[in-house]
Amino acid sequence: MPGSRSMRLVESALRCYPRRWRSRHGDEAAEIASLLIRDGTPARSVAWSYLMGAARTRLVTGPRRRVSAAVGALLLAAGSLGVSLALLSSPAPANAANVTHSRTAHPRPADVRDGGSRPADPRYGGGRGALDRCDRHDRC
Amino acid sequence: MANPKRDGMGGPDVLRRAGDASVLILTSLADGAKHGYALIQDIKGFAGLQLGPGTLYGALDRLERMGLIEALPAEDRRQPYRITAAGVGALRAHLDSIERVSSVGRLRLGLEGI
Repeated sequence: MPGSRSMRLVESALRCYPRRWRSRHGDEAAEIASLLIRDGTPARSVAWSYLMGAARTRLVTGPRRRVSAAVGALLLAAGSLGVSLALLSSPAPANAANVTHSRTAHPRPADVRDGGSRPADPRYGGGRGALDRCDRHDRC
Repeated sequence: MANPKRDGMGGPDVLRRAGDASVLILTSLADGAKHGYALIQDIKGFAGLQLGPGTLYGALDRLERMGLIEALPAEDRRQPYRITAAGVGALRAHLDSIERVSSVGRLRLGLEGI
């Protein structure tokens, strides 16, 4: 019989399953764990397998939970996209970050303020020269 | 690539996205009902890999939901499972599909007839 410490570890992992799953499989799962540990499988590995199984079971339990998970993921994605767009549209952080590729993609704020009347500075990727370079290099 | 439905080579391969554990479990159950620990031991014997118990239960639940296996009355603490007629059909279709891919692969590697 495996040590009580090993079994405590496995039982902690089994407690992560939903109650309905435990009432159906709990006893057998504990027995399988004890047999596997007796055969030489590390208790950590058995517990980890049950832990991952519990996470998967909780993710796919019932269509309502799946819809909730999908809505949550969409909201999270929309939120992070919104934050990213807000950061990109704000000129101050982009200038502060001194990101080189932003210079080639966008005119300097000074050029925008001047209404584009000032000749573009090729050092900052402005003017036709930059476009020509972009035409020649696929990476642009 | 051959289309099984169009070419009349058996039913659709519902196990394609079910994962390796599901295929191993159905293969193990093909010669009779087994409970969890017996499944792990049998699969270790013929496939040389030990399914984690969490993976096993995940696959058993999925296969049961798909109607490919069914639970038999529990014996003590152990819950035996057996393959259903739908499970037999699904396993056959999947093995046919693997067979086709295998024969093309062997042909292209020049291993056919060796």
